[in-house]
Amino acid sequence: MIVSSGFLSIMVMMALTVTIIAPIVLIILWIKDWIKGQLW
Amino acid sequence: MNNVHSAVLDASTGWIILAIFSVIWIFLGWFWGRKAKKLDDFMLAGRNVGMALGTATAMATWVTSNTTLVAPQFALQLGIWGMLGYSLGAVGLILFAPLVKRIRSLVPHGYTSGDFIRLRYGVWTWRLFLLISMCYAIGWLISMGMAGGVLIHALTGIDYQYGMTVILIICVTYTLLGGLRAVIGTDFIQTILILIGIIILAVLTISEIGFEKMHEDVLTESPELLNLLMPAAIMFLFNNLLFGIGEIFHSNVWWSRAFAFREGVGSKAYLFAGIIWAPIPIVAGFIALSVSSLDLNVPAADMVGPMVAAKLLGFTGAVIVFVVVFSSLASSLDSLLAATSDLILQDIYRGHINPKASDEQLRRIAKIIIVLLGIVTWLICLPRIATLGSLLQYLGAFVASTIWPIAAGLYLKKANATGAFLAMLLGTLSGIWAFFSIGFYVAALVSAVVSMSIVLISMWLRPDNFEWSKLNEQPEQLTGEKSS
Repeated sequence: MIVSSGFLSIMVMMALTVTIIAPIVLIILWIKDWIKGQLW
Repeated sequence: MNNVHSAVLDASTGWIILAIFSVIWIFLGWFWGRKAKKLDDFMLAGRNVGMALGTATAMATWVTSNTTLVAPQFALQLGIWGMLGYSLGAVGLILFAPLVKRIRSLVPHGYTSGDFIRLRYGVWTWRLFLLISMCYAIGWLISMGMAGGVLIHALTGIDYQYGMTVILIICVTYTLLGGLRAVIGTDFIQTILILIGIIILAVLTISEIGFEKMHEDVLTESPELLNLLMPAAIMFLFNNLLFGIGEIFHSNVWWSRAFAFREGVGSKAYLFAGIIWAPIPIVAGFIALSVSSLDLNVPAADMVGPMVAAKLLGFTGAVIVFVVVFSSLASSLDSLLAATSDLILQDIYRGHINPKASDEQLRRIAKIIIVLLGIVTWLICLPRIATLGSLLQYLGAFVASTIWPIAAGLYLKKANATGAFLAMLLGTLSGIWAFFSIGFYVAALVSAVVSMSIVLISMWLRPDNFEWSKLNEQPEQLTGEKSS
């Protein structure tokens, strides 16, 4: 059962989208914690 | 096929990058560590880590050099399922999320995973658990140290021994200066660097080659890599899932963070870290499928990632992959050094040798242990003895045997010490047997199945009636022979 190039591209693009969002969310969380004085 | 010389950076550029990172990490280690006055500050970052740093440290620690180097290797060897199977490692982080809440409420004053096993199952199960944990921790440290030497050599031509030595010295130094606070602080920066680097490499691979050509070339040269019914790869998928769960459930790397995170943060941080970690092996791994399109001859499977990056992006690619893997290595090495030294300090030194040691003594011993761990790792890493993937999979037999004793011990009063002991012992032995008799891809699977069966049968034959309050041990109560 060979996967198509479409399957490959959708799988990788979905993974890449989450990976692109991740650092943005982390930085927002960092700023939020920093403002509240709750980094650690 | 062309043989590509992978050392696309000259040695002097490599040394400059290493020097810059050394200065940054060591300075930050000192800066954050100077406020660590108490043992809790050094070992557990004051038990007050917030959501952003908590998520990043869980994520960065789980993105090891094995993710950035071995994910492409598995994609090359096992194709689609190699990437998907590796990404199932995220399930361990996600499943650990609810356990963190339980751990914090049951063992509020704990320091290590060993504390829980000792209080829950007694001394002999604790000692066996420590043996398993130490084998795993040393194995992981070796795998990281070796990966560091291999990467630096491949990209810069700097001798394997020199590169491995430098990475170990950097990580030992800043962990020594700042303890867990330095580890968690640097993890945040390393997470951002890793993510940005991987994104750049993936985007450029897609734009340079494209999915159509990549698919067409793999279909011509190695069609089995695109086969969803590749049997070995499907076994690998389940094996890797259980390996990941076992690693996280038992390792003090993750337990020490459960104790270090602020109340209410742990579960959310682990859940979020799992979600953003899951796509990393796919994004880092798929570039290996471009080997056919690039006409590359890969001499060692674990070098496929750096070689593709260097071939595609030349100097920039080499620098990016260098920074990504260096950050991945550092974020895992520092965590392992800190968590393993905690385990040795709390469970071996304090638990077996000197139960009445003062905070001051313990802090001093913790630092000695970190240095000794660095030296032991360095000595074992000097000869390159196995491929990274094989070394890691071998450890799956050990860690998968701990999943059921820990999960049952946290939630079921019926779980008993004899069952937990036998589950870990026989699970590990059967996993090792499977590794050598069948293959690396079933070691964790066999170990987990045997361990699960023993835990379930022992609960049915000899159910315990454990009192959860016994886990709430005050720090001053600790003795090595408390329970049996």
